[in-house]
Amino acid sequence: MVARIAHGQVTDSLKTLDTVTVSGAKNVYINIAPVQQLDRSTLQQLNSFSVGDAAKYFSGVLIKDYGGVGGLKTISVRSLGAQQTGVLYDGIAMADAQSGQVDLSKLSVTFLQSINLYDGAFFTALMPARSYSYAALLSASTVANFPSLQKLDWRFGLRQGSFGLWQPYAGFTLPASKRTFINFTAEGTKAEGDYPFNINNGSYSEKSKRNNSDIKSLHAEINITTLFNDSSAWKTKAAVYIAQRGLPGAIIFFNDHSTQRLWNTDAFIQSAYNKKFNAKISLLAAAKYTHSYTRYLDPDFLNNQGELDDKYNQDEAYASAALAYNITSSLQFNYASDAAYTTLHSNKKMFAEPSRLSLWNVAGIQYNKQLFHANANVLYTHIHGDVKQGTAADDKNEFTPALAVSIKPGLKSPLLLRAFYKRIFRLPTFNDLYYNIVGNTDLKPEYANQYNVGVTYTKHVSEHLNNISFSVDGYYNTVNDKIIAIPSKNLFIWSVLNLGKVHITGVDVNAEASGKFSGNWSWFIKLAYTWQHAVDVTDKSSASYKDQIPYTPVHSGSGIIQLAYKTWNFSYSNIYSGGRYTLGDNIPANHLNGWITQDISLSKAFLLKHATLTIKGELNNITDQHYDVIKYFPMPGRSYEISISINKK
Amino acid sequence: MKKNLLWFLSAGSLFIISSCSKDDNPTPPTPPVVTTGLYVLNEGLFNGNNTMLTYYSFSNSTPTTDFFANVNGSSLGDTGSDIVIYGGKLYIVMNVSSYVEVADAFTAHEITRIDMKNGSVPRQPRYAVGYKNKLLVSSYDGTVAVIDTTTLTIDKFITVGSNPEQLLVANDKLFVANSGGLNFPDYDSTVSVVDLSTFTEKKKIVVGLNPGKMAADENGNVFVVSTGNYADAFPKIVQIDANAESVTRSLDSAVNIIKVSGDKLYAISGFGENQKVLVFNTADLSVSDNNFISDGTVVTSMYGLDIDDETGDVYITDSKDYVSPGEVFCFDKNGTKKFSFSVTPGLNPDKVVLIKQ
Repeated sequence: MVARIAHGQVTDSLKTLDTVTVSGAKNVYINIAPVQQLDRSTLQQLNSFSVGDAAKYFSGVLIKDYGGVGGLKTISVRSLGAQQTGVLYDGIAMADAQSGQVDLSKLSVTFLQSINLYDGAFFTALMPARSYSYAALLSASTVANFPSLQKLDWRFGLRQGSFGLWQPYAGFTLPASKRTFINFTAEGTKAEGDYPFNINNGSYSEKSKRNNSDIKSLHAEINITTLFNDSSAWKTKAAVYIAQRGLPGAIIFFNDHSTQRLWNTDAFIQSAYNKKFNAKISLLAAAKYTHSYTRYLDPDFLNNQGELDDKYNQDEAYASAALAYNITSSLQFNYASDAAYTTLHSNKKMFAEPSRLSLWNVAGIQYNKQLFHANANVLYTHIHGDVKQGTAADDKNEFTPALAVSIKPGLKSPLLLRAFYKRIFRLPTFNDLYYNIVGNTDLKPEYANQYNVGVTYTKHVSEHLNNISFSVDGYYNTVNDKIIAIPSKNLFIWSVLNLGKVHITGVDVNAEASGKFSGNWSWFIKLAYTWQHAVDVTDKSSASYKDQIPYTPVHSGSGIIQLAYKTWNFSYSNIYSGGRYTLGDNIPANHLNGWITQDISLSKAFLLKHATLTIKGELNNITDQHYDVIKYFPMPGRSYEISISINKK
Repeated sequence: MKKNLLWFLSAGSLFIISSCSKDDNPTPPTPPVVTTGLYVLNEGLFNGNNTMLTYYSFSNSTPTTDFFANVNGSSLGDTGSDIVIYGGKLYIVMNVSSYVEVADAFTAHEITRIDMKNGSVPRQPRYAVGYKNKLLVSSYDGTVAVIDTTTLTIDKFITVGSNPEQLLVANDKLFVANSGGLNFPDYDSTVSVVDLSTFTEKKKIVVGLNPGKMAADENGNVFVVSTGNYADAFPKIVQIDANAESVTRSLDSAVNIIKVSGDKLYAISGFGENQKVLVFNTADLSVSDNNFISDGTVVTSMYGLDIDDETGDVYITDSKDYVSPGEVFCFDKNGTKKFSFSVTPGLNPDKVVLIKQ
C-alpha cells in the first residue's frame, strides 16, 4: 500500500491522498486468484478513450478492435471468448442478451477510478450472484463506487485530436446534505475517424482514408451516494449513452462504398445498498433496470424497400440480494441470489420476440488464515426462455463449481502460491438461438473449464525501489460445445451449432515496480506478457486440427513507463501482438502480421489558487505502425491529441 | 532501477525488430502456361478479399492457386460467384467487390474490369451467361446487364424481378430466377422471360418461393430449383417449357444445385452428412440414380457441381468446413472417382470450367 501511494504521487501528485489510497487500497498481486488493475493515475496518463483501449494493457486479454473511436471493441480473456467475459460497471453487471458481449468502446475512462480484471471471478467482497457466472470479469468503477471518496469536487476538460476528434467533459460532486453527495458527469465525443490507411492487394497498393467512420456520442450520469451513521452505504446511479455512428465495414477491394449507420441509446438506473449488521452479518441488495435501443440502417440494401432499417429494443429488470455470515473469525459463509428478466423486441418480420428469465444462486465459503486462504463456491443457474413466434429453447439448469486456494510460505515471505479451478458456461445468445433462419433453439450451453496455478512476489525494497510486484500464472482451459456459426447451405445462409472444442494452454506474466530517484523524481513501470497455445481440437480430420485458433497470437504483451518530476509527467507505453492467423488453418495465406504500437505523453500541471490546470500532449502510435487487429479493418496510424483540464484543488 | 529500465527498453526494441522482420510481399511463383485443364473459381469468404482462381493442368495433374494473382500480381477481391469462358475470354463475376473481371481465357491476363455499380452503390452481380457476342449478367439490384463482348462496355440494363440468381438461354430466350433472397421472409417466386431481340422482359412465370439455381436441356426444358423458405415451403424442382413459357412439371425434392447433361439432370441433395448427388431423367423427372457416387468417395461438403458434356465427367467441389481449403473431385459418368486435387489456399470452390487450348 505504501508503494501505491508513491506511485500515486508520481503520476497523480496533485490529487488528494485519499483518491490514491482507495484506488490502491489493496495490492492486487496478493489476491487468491489473478487480478490485474489499472488505477486512476495510470488511466489518466494512458492514451485511451475507452475501457476497450485501456484493457489492452492486461495480460491474457484479446481485445477485438474494429478500429477508430467508434469501432466495436470486445474482450476475450484467456481465449475463452467475449461471451464468457462479464463486465461490471460500479459493481453491477452490464449485459447484452442479444449478442452476449459488451461493446467496451461505449465505456469512457475519463471518470473511472479503476479497471480490474478478475480471472475466474473470485471475490473477497460481497458480490451479486451473477458476478460469479462468468469465466472472467472486467470491472470498471467510477469515483461514485467509493462512498468514502465523496467530497466537494469538480473537473472540466477538453480533448482535441487527429481525425476530427473533440471531446469536452465535465464532472461535479456536491454535498446535498451532511451524508449525501450528488455526483454529475457528462462527456461528449465527436470524431470524423477519417484516418489514412493503405490498401495492399499484391503488387497493387493504394493510399486511402477510412470513410463513414464518424461518431457522435454523449454519456451522462447522475450518482447519489448516502453514507449512513452505521457506515452502511446507499448508491444510486442513472446513466445514459446516446450515439450515432457510421459503420465503415471491412475494406473491400474495388468497392469502397460504405453508408451503413448505427444508432444506440442505452439507459439504465441502478441502486445498491450495503450494510454490515454486526461483526457477523453483512448484506448487499441491488437492483437495476436497463433499456437499450439499437437502430441499424443500410440505405442501399437491395431488397424491395431499397433499404434495411432494423430496430431493436432490449429491456432487462434485475435484482440481487447477497449475505455474508462470519461463522468464525477465519471462516465465512456467503450466499447470493439474483434474478433477471430480459426481453428483446424488433421491427423485423418473423422476429421471435424472445424473453428470458434467469435465476442465479451462489453459495460459498471463504477460509482466511494468515498464511492460507481458500474460496469455494457453487453456482446454480436456471434459465427459462419464451418466444412469441416459433419455438423457445428448453429450460436450462446448471450447477457449476469453483475453488481457489493460496498459501504464503511464511509471514515475512514475499511469495504467494495460488491455484484455482472453475467450471462455467455461457448461454447461447438471442442471436444464436433465434436469429432469422440462422438461429438454432437446440443449442446447448458452451462450457469452459479453467485450471490455474501461479506464484506471486511482492516486496518493499527501499525508497528508490519502493515496491516490486511480480506474478506468473500458468493455465489450462478447455472449451466444449463451443457455439460457432458455419454456412450451412451457402455463404449467405449460416447456422449456429455446438461444434467447437478448444484447448488453451497459457502463461500470464505481470510485473510492476515504483520508486523514487531523488527528491523530485519518481517512476512507475508496469509490464504484462502473455504466451498462449490455443488450439482447435474439434475434428481430427480437419485441416485446422491442433492449429492455433483465429486471431490468437502466441506472444503478446504491453509495457508502461511513467516518470514524474515536480509538476511534469511523462509516459511511454506500448502494446505488442505477435503474428496471428485469420482462420483456423495455420497456413501462410491466413497469416496476419504482428504489430507494436507505442504512445508517449507529456503533461504539466499549473497550480492556481483554487484549482489545478493540467495541459497534456499525446503522440499515439509514434512509429506510424499500420496494422489490423481484425483483417481488413485497419487501425489508425500516428495521431496526436492535446487536452486541457481544470479541477478543484 | 536502472537495470529495470534498460531491460524494459531493450524488450521494447526487440518487439519492434520481431514485428518488422516478416516479409510482407513474397515473390509469387512463375505461373505455368495454360494448356488443357480446368479453371476453378474459389469464392473465398465474405469480407475476406480472398477469391482465388485455380488452374489445374491435365497434362501434369498439378493445381496452381492463386493463378490469377500469380499472373496479374494482384488478386480478384471479394466473393467471386461465377466464372464463364466465352469467345476466348474469361469472365469472373465478383459479387461483393461488385465488378466483372475480364481476362484472356488462355493466359488469365487481365483485359479490364467492368464496374457494376449504380452510381456509387454496388449492384452485387451474381451470375453470367454468354449469348451472341453479349455477356448477360444478373445482379442483386434486380437487373441483367448486357455487356458487349467486343467493346467490353455495358449496352443496357434489363429490369427483372428482385435479387436475381442464375440465368440461362433456351429457345433464344433468357430465363432469370428471381429469388427475392434479400426480402426474407417475403421471397420472390418468379422466373423472368427476356426477349433477346429487344432485351426487355416479356413476362414472369410463377414457379414457387425463392428460385435460385437453373439448368436447361436441349429439348427446350428449363429446370428451376425453388428453394422454399426453410420453414413451411419446401424446396422443389420446377420444369418450364421454354417455348410455351409455362410450368409443365413440379417435383418436391430437397435439392440445391442442378446441372443437365444429355437427358440426365444431376442435383446435389440434402445437407451435411446426408448430402448426395441424385440423377433424374429429364423426360419425366423420375429418379434414375439415387446416389451417383458409386465408389464410396466421401465429399465433406458439396458446394459446386459441373459436368463435362463431351466425356460425361462430373466435377464436385468440396468446401470442407467452409474456412479450410477446398478440394475438387472428378468422377466418371458411372460415379467412380477419377482424380481429386486440393485448391489450397483457396476457400469454397464453387465452379469448375474446362479450358482447352
